[in-house]
Amino acid sequence: MIQSLVPFAMLLRREIARFCKVLMQTVITPLVSSCLYLLVFGVSLGSKVTTQHGVDYLAFLIPGLVMMGLMNNAFQNASSSIVNSKYTGELEDMRVVPLTNQEIIWAISFASVVRGAVVGLITYLVGAAFYYHQYDRFLGVAHPLELIFFVIVGGLVFGKLGLATAFWAKSFDQLSIVGAFVLLPLTYLGGVFISIDSLGPFWKSLSQLNPLFYFINGIRHAILGVSDVDPWTAILVSVVGLIAFYIIANIAMIKGNFHRW
Amino acid sequence: MQALRVEHLKKSYHLKVGTEVHAVKGVSFDVEPGEIFGLLGPNGAGKTTIISTITTLEKPTSGDVKVFGESVVTNSAWTKKQIGIVAQEIVTQGFFNLEEILTFHSGYYGIWNNKERIKFLLHKLGLYDHRHKLVKQLSGGMKRRLMIAKALVHNPRLLLLDEPTAGVDIELRNSLWSFVRELKAQGISILLTTHYLQEAEELCDRVGIIHKGELQYVGETRGIIHQLTKRLVEITFNEGDWSRLKTSPYYQHAKDQSYYFSIPYDLHVGALLTGLQINVSQIRDLKTREGSLEDAFLSVLNKKHHNKEVQA
Repeated sequence: MIQSLVPFAMLLRREIARFCKVLMQTVITPLVSSCLYLLVFGVSLGSKVTTQHGVDYLAFLIPGLVMMGLMNNAFQNASSSIVNSKYTGELEDMRVVPLTNQEIIWAISFASVVRGAVVGLITYLVGAAFYYHQYDRFLGVAHPLELIFFVIVGGLVFGKLGLATAFWAKSFDQLSIVGAFVLLPLTYLGGVFISIDSLGPFWKSLSQLNPLFYFINGIRHAILGVSDVDPWTAILVSVVGLIAFYIIANIAMIKGNFHRW
Repeated sequence: MQALRVEHLKKSYHLKVGTEVHAVKGVSFDVEPGEIFGLLGPNGAGKTTIISTITTLEKPTSGDVKVFGESVVTNSAWTKKQIGIVAQEIVTQGFFNLEEILTFHSGYYGIWNNKERIKFLLHKLGLYDHRHKLVKQLSGGMKRRLMIAKALVHNPRLLLLDEPTAGVDIELRNSLWSFVRELKAQGISILLTTHYLQEAEELCDRVGIIHKGELQYVGETRGIIHQLTKRLVEITFNEGDWSRLKTSPYYQHAKDQSYYFSIPYDLHVGALLTGLQINVSQIRDLKTREGSLEDAFLSVLNKKHHNKEVQA
């Protein structure tokens, strides 16, 4: 391994090992909630909902749940890692060892990508199994490269948001504010469960201001080949999001303090 | 080249608008290669702030800190690799066992495979049998030893020990002291902060005494003791009236047939006896007690000497 990559690679390894130590909390719990969403909204109510963009509601729902699981877990992975480190004193350790801000930002973000991708993949596989059971057809991936792009960029963006939030937060309460009052409403209003075509003009315009709408529809286009938004627009918005949250994460690292709580 | 050079270091904190706390007020000192330097002071004196500045956890308000000639402000990537730090507070790391913690810590210093060194340190510090345990499963002393293993995992040239024996029992303290001496013998330079003055007296070649953010005194440990304390001489006489001795400038007090004198280190006991016209046959017993670092420390804090270099 190239010597200069060792600190980054070791922090990435540590971050992945960290969430693997608590798989019940980091992977199994999101999996259970995805199964419940699929069962209640997709299977039970899905048959009563009109098709969206010419696909069955269950198929429409699956990419939204994949992205929702990915975003939430990427955010939580980074934020809980930093906040835990503030409690244990590991964050001070991170400052006194020769890890650079860039190594910390990217290692934590890529670990978020891994956790988000694992949860997203499992959600997709479970959804595909439900879909196969319901319609006797396998749910394929229309644009695999686009899927990989949105998984990586989505994980990086929400990993950086988690990192920045955790550096900003001075308590668990403040951390939960971002999760409960920002991320959750934007996810639910970002087109996970419905197409914005079914909304009135005002709510449709408002939804288009929601950045999560582009990530959700980006991955929907990658899996189904249809979405509420042009895929290039979704790609552009997600790249702009990545740059913006990269800058925010850098500011958080420079301004934030590494002292223990 | 000095292992560590602290130059006119100042650190202030803004607590509220218009409220500024000066934690460190223009402190300067050096740590020579292979030396154990003790930074002594009461709680809140500024010791940990200085350590935090060396490790870049804090930025200096003004002044600089150089590690083997390189500034921690402008070349921290290099200086961090030279430093091992044993922090005052235990880092608990709930998810990982000892071997994993040391492996990750090695990686942060650019060492991917460090199994031999980790195995050596675990054996050396008596942690090998506990290598698969989580930190929370260790005793207080083991946690402290793990912190030392972490600090040494990358073979640092400068070791910062911030209150390393705080809250540890005598047996562990003695074993840590002998380990610190071994490290010194290997050529590692050590900056030790402590408020256990016996520890500093046992280990340190030189000490600096800091109080309220100001360095009050820097010098060789023995030199400070000799400079700032006096030797106590207790003479117990067989019989007779010795009240005439109370006029001596060295006289301290008397109890029964015992008379106590406080003399400078350059005055020999023989010279004292001659000066006091005491015949050895008149003495039943004679005891002397050297001044301690604690006496010197208290003397500095009371007299407020200012950064005076002691020539041993």
